[in-house]
Amino acid sequence: MTGRRSAVFVAASLSALALSLWVGRRLDAETADFVLLQLRLPRMLVGALVGATLAISGAAFQAVFNNPLATPSTVGTTAGATLGALIALSLDVGSGPFGVSLLTASAFIGALTTSLIVSGLAASGRLSKSDVLLAGIAVTLASGALATGVQFASDARALVAAAQWSLGQLPQVGYHGVYLLGPFAGITLVGLLALGRPLQNLALGEDLAETQGVDVGRLRFLVLILASLGVAACVAWCGPIAFVGLIVPHLVRLLVGPSLRLLLPLSFIGGAGFLVACDTLARVLLPGRELPVGVLTAALGAPALVLLVMRARV
Amino acid sequence: MSLRLEGVGVSRRGRALLDAVDLEVGPGELLALVGPNGAGKTTLLRTIVGLLEPQRGRVLLGDADVSTLSARARAAKVAWLPQHMAQTEELSALDIVVAARFRFDEPFRVAAAQSIKALARVGLENVAERSVLTLSGGERQRVALAGLLAQAAPLLLLDEPANHLDPAQQIDVYRLLGELWREGLSIVCVTHDVNLLRHLAAPERVRLAGMANGQLRFQTNFADGNLPSELGQLFGVRMNSLQNAQDGSRLLFAESLA
Repeated sequence: MTGRRSAVFVAASLSALALSLWVGRRLDAETADFVLLQLRLPRMLVGALVGATLAISGAAFQAVFNNPLATPSTVGTTAGATLGALIALSLDVGSGPFGVSLLTASAFIGALTTSLIVSGLAASGRLSKSDVLLAGIAVTLASGALATGVQFASDARALVAAAQWSLGQLPQVGYHGVYLLGPFAGITLVGLLALGRPLQNLALGEDLAETQGVDVGRLRFLVLILASLGVAACVAWCGPIAFVGLIVPHLVRLLVGPSLRLLLPLSFIGGAGFLVACDTLARVLLPGRELPVGVLTAALGAPALVLLVMRARV
Repeated sequence: MSLRLEGVGVSRRGRALLDAVDLEVGPGELLALVGPNGAGKTTLLRTIVGLLEPQRGRVLLGDADVSTLSARARAAKVAWLPQHMAQTEELSALDIVVAARFRFDEPFRVAAAQSIKALARVGLENVAERSVLTLSGGERQRVALAGLLAQAAPLLLLDEPANHLDPAQQIDVYRLLGELWREGLSIVCVTHDVNLLRHLAAPERVRLAGMANGQLRFQTNFADGNLPSELGQLFGVRMNSLQNAQDGSRLLFAESLA
């Protein structure tokens, strides 16, 4: 039963990835190569990396905090990125080193700073997991307040640009994003997958896990830092994309149960499939315009989640 | 694995939870820990397993001070069965026992095989894939015991392992403990019902330690003639004894002093 469901889920996710290459304007002989190889393929790859990173980070955070509402933004990553982006925009700076816009670099630094603060706190075994969640909320609120301050001092052009960034999008030409995101997302994905076994022990309480050979403080720190690295890179590159880290792990949990042995790898694959599917829709839904993908992840994912939860309760 | 506590003191907010506790449990020994609620029995187990660090004295597992051991090294020496198991998610019995196995770099297949063996030992190999939330209280307790077996530590600490179980299941749990003891494990077991100790393999070799207010009040043997009066004093009751007509064993029951 679980095996068959997993297989169907993986097949559906992989089909979403493949379909994204064929859906869209009909290709003619002249432009086919360019559209496929320079537009759709890199966009699919970035979408898959971002979706996989957000979803597996969500699943890991929900396990490490033993809290179903934890998301990749729980430790202030998104708020920090937003603050960084706003600072860059208000300073009106252009391109930075390695062809990375200073907006991206600044958002990345912001995201990493906030999550480092919270991870550092979490590393002390003395704090309970709810203390760490509170610290995450406090850092989020503080960065939000700073961001509002920066907005207050910014001009209209910077405000519009900031609003645009905060919608979350995956527009790509070429493989720049893949190269930039790849290493960060790779570390997050491999690292979190490797921590599945000790993370599972936390489900029976931190005390028991500690006596079963898990250094809970160290594990928390590792999960937070590994997830933050990838998530910070994703948010910096694409803007905040809401709900993927919440919806995908819960969908997987409803399908195959909470065992992390399946939950982590299936969230990885499902996150990639889900975000790419939403992005493909976002491309083709409105003629001549693209919707920001974040609009669709929330609009489609949230009702799907509610429906599944209600069916599971009956 | 030998366990030694030397003058162990634990206090929280100025209140002494453990006060100068000296205790020794040799390899292959079984110690039953008794005492009124709040005496410090659970605190003592949590200190031994390293969840609480003593402000005074030290806890030695073999030659090693517990506070200097890594979580992994501790898990290899001592396993703990808490009084209550936090359990919210629908994990399978196998998931739970594999987690207790704790050798995280061992291939999953090996860990699963060892865990199935442990579940078979407690008679639950047929429910390995079932969610523990669908199991009865007795079955869940046996899953937890299978976890201890899978952890394969030489010293077991059990906090009221027969809590909330029906009489048949209580006897089953103590029989299993007796078997593990006979196989050479060291065991420290907190209990409120000393009569259950009769179901251990060799009750006459069971040691008893009585605790009150964070202090050890007496150490004796289950067969000791003074045990009823010691227990009576410890709990503030009159402890009477009856002879079991079947096997001649002694049964204790409490009566109010008034």
